[in-house]
Amino acid sequence: MIARRSPTAYWTGFAVVLALLAIAPLVLPEFWRRFVTEILIWGLLAMSSDILIGYTGMVSFGHSVFFGLGIYGAAAALLSVKPPNLWLALLYGLTAAGTAAVFVAYFSTRLRDIYFAITTLVFSQIFYVIIFTWTAVTGGENGLTFAQPLLSLPGLGAARFTPETLHWFVLGVVTVSYLLLRRITQSPFGMVLQSIRENEPRTRAIGYAVERYKIVAVMLSGLFAGLAGVLYAVQNKFAAPDFVFFAVSGEVVIFNVMGGMGTLVGPVAGAAFFLLLREGVSRYFTEYYLIPVGIIFTAMVIFMPQGLLGFAKRRLNE
Amino acid sequence: MLTLTEVHTYYGKSHILLGVSLEVQPGEVVGLLGRNGVGKSTTLKTIMGLVRPSGGHVRFEGREIAGTAPHRLAHAGLAWVPEDRRIFRLLTVMENLRTGLDRPGMTEARRRELLDKVYAHFPVLAERRSQAGGTLSGGEQQMLAIARAMMLEPKIILLDEPTEGLMPRMVGQIREIITLLHQDRVAILLVEQNVPLTLDVSDRVYIMEKGLVRHHATAAELRADHAVIHQYLGV
Amino acid sequence: MSIPLDQILIQTVNGLVNGMILALVASGLTLIFGIMDVVNFAHGDLVMLGGFTGAVTIAATGNFWLALLVAVLVIAVFGAALQATTLRPLLGRDPLTTILATFGISLVLQKYALWQWGPSARRIQEPLTGQFQLFYLQYPWYRVLTAVLSAAIIGGFWLFLRHGKYGIWIRATMQDRIMASAMGIPVPWVHTGVFAIGAGMAAASGVLFGPLGGVTQNMGLDFTLRAFIVVVVGGMGNLGGSIFAAILISLLEAYASLVVSPAQAVIVSFVVLILTLLFRPTGLFVPTPK
Repeated sequence: MIARRSPTAYWTGFAVVLALLAIAPLVLPEFWRRFVTEILIWGLLAMSSDILIGYTGMVSFGHSVFFGLGIYGAAAALLSVKPPNLWLALLYGLTAAGTAAVFVAYFSTRLRDIYFAITTLVFSQIFYVIIFTWTAVTGGENGLTFAQPLLSLPGLGAARFTPETLHWFVLGVVTVSYLLLRRITQSPFGMVLQSIRENEPRTRAIGYAVERYKIVAVMLSGLFAGLAGVLYAVQNKFAAPDFVFFAVSGEVVIFNVMGGMGTLVGPVAGAAFFLLLREGVSRYFTEYYLIPVGIIFTAMVIFMPQGLLGFAKRRLNE
Repeated sequence: MLTLTEVHTYYGKSHILLGVSLEVQPGEVVGLLGRNGVGKSTTLKTIMGLVRPSGGHVRFEGREIAGTAPHRLAHAGLAWVPEDRRIFRLLTVMENLRTGLDRPGMTEARRRELLDKVYAHFPVLAERRSQAGGTLSGGEQQMLAIARAMMLEPKIILLDEPTEGLMPRMVGQIREIITLLHQDRVAILLVEQNVPLTLDVSDRVYIMEKGLVRHHATAAELRADHAVIHQYLGV
Repeated sequence: MSIPLDQILIQTVNGLVNGMILALVASGLTLIFGIMDVVNFAHGDLVMLGGFTGAVTIAATGNFWLALLVAVLVIAVFGAALQATTLRPLLGRDPLTTILATFGISLVLQKYALWQWGPSARRIQEPLTGQFQLFYLQYPWYRVLTAVLSAAIIGGFWLFLRHGKYGIWIRATMQDRIMASAMGIPVPWVHTGVFAIGAGMAAASGVLFGPLGGVTQNMGLDFTLRAFIVVVVGGMGNLGGSIFAAILISLLEAYASLVVSPAQAVIVSFVVLILTLLFRPTGLFVPTPK
């Protein structure tokens, strides 16, 4: 896929995009600066689910669980430890999301297609119900608010987050995650995942322990989704059951389809496209923006299954 | 009546038919011989519209039928008896037959007539009419598959290895029914591994190899030409 | 902890009533899956649309039975149009695409309902207001009626499947789509027709449920999920199994709600689903695969 282009062209493109994203907060007005940071966070969440939907062929309708637990995990660290510590928030968030991922992975990876999709959805409902009703710990419907931690870097001391440093911090985390995920998907492990997507029985017949690969895929995916949750918590300073709800998972699936499944960059583009579309359309349709977005989404599933990125790529190659 | 010209068919990325041309005249029994995997079944599926050819022409009674939906072809006079019979296992024998009977323009009298005819040929189907198709023996299922195709009153039957896995007595019955359909002026395109039977019941024979028709002769010529049979079929 | 027997019996009646409505929803879902391998993610939203169509018709005419009929017909036609435009082009593609497409449809339908009818619940006036004494409760006859009506609709559909030309077409297509088309059965139209029937059954459940729980724009997800659980537990494509599973799960939920809050009782059915998938992935009631 990406390997078809020459490495030089790829890294040049990568550097240009990275540079543009790095200077974005310096030139953009406040609203759009925040918007770009948010796109990066949702983009990371979208990439994390691409491991499953695009590379392994498993549609997860439960990514809100990992994302939400990342947020709640970070919240737990930020509320319980004084002073709030960024790295502790990260540790707690990843632990919470990772634990949920182990749980979901154990039960759902024996299943395929719609069974997997619905089981992940069922898990997200279970976690939603727990978080919604366990008011004493989670704050129930009202959620939790907490203070933003300081940006503390080893050897550099600590400072309050400014919109710019927050953006760069998020950009750094997302970039490193992207490079890691890219490595993983191009590794032999990633090849096995793609072979599971293409033909699961054959992959099994060759001798790969398909279930184990799927479990690791779900866990990796869950960890990166949790990471996105932590970033979101740091940016927005509150946790709410809505983030665990199915609607978030649905949006993540939309990001993937719109951008192009199985490309990593595509889902990020999809997230950007979706959020921009919502921004643009909701001026006219207010909260009903999902009507046109849903129609576009369904049409894309039927007519443009390779997504925006795949479509653009095909156009460029012609 | 049925003409294939330079038909190409793919399954996914593998090229199965590499330009098959053949022809069946009204009322003619035409054999299609060849080793396993040379594309005989695919040829029948392509004619029936179950696989879409990527190139070439399939004409039936002068009309291009490549790309036409199978159910329209069934109503136009083509019937397919697949290799694995594909009986509706949970439907009764009678219901299996009705899948071909319940079509537009059927009269009650005509239905009766058709049913009486197959029950006369295959009395066992009359006995088992309320039994589920899946409970029949292999030979009975083959009878049912042919009888079911006859319900469509086809002009041509695409018959795929009807004697495969049958006992010799059953093979005799299949031979009889082919002869009978022949007398009724129903054309048959017969794919078979059983060479003697094919040479016996066919008017003409095509021999396929690796996705192409390699040889074409009348059955009478082939009966005398053991060299060709040996060359392509190894028997 | 001990629970009085009369409470258990009341919950048994509740479970049976809810189970029959759920069975009606699940029948449509299992039928659509059985014939075209499509799990209709928007199925619960068809229940919701049916409920709203019924509510609107009642508001205009005041007649419950007319509303039931109108809702079934309107949603069946709508379902047919939906199938022909969005699912027919996807036949034979990766199952992933049908999940995604019906998810997209579900999104659109739900937001359309929100736009059209607003966020608040609509109650449908029941056609029957009588009650009878069930232990310490005045139990509405209407609840019993919904169970009977649901059973009647399912039974009527079963007869339709067993007898007559279209029943044979549907069953033949379910067993072997390709052979069915080679026998002259117009398979694309059978698919559309079955989707329409499934949609109509969903709409009927929406109207029947209206007086019990009200109709809201976001009720679809819950119905889809529960119907899916029923269909898996009963065995995908198995009509009889779905009915048993619907009753089983509704009874379990009803009993669970004696101990925990109704919101938490839902988890019981989730647990049943997960256990089924782990230990009997072909469902509790499937003897052997076809």
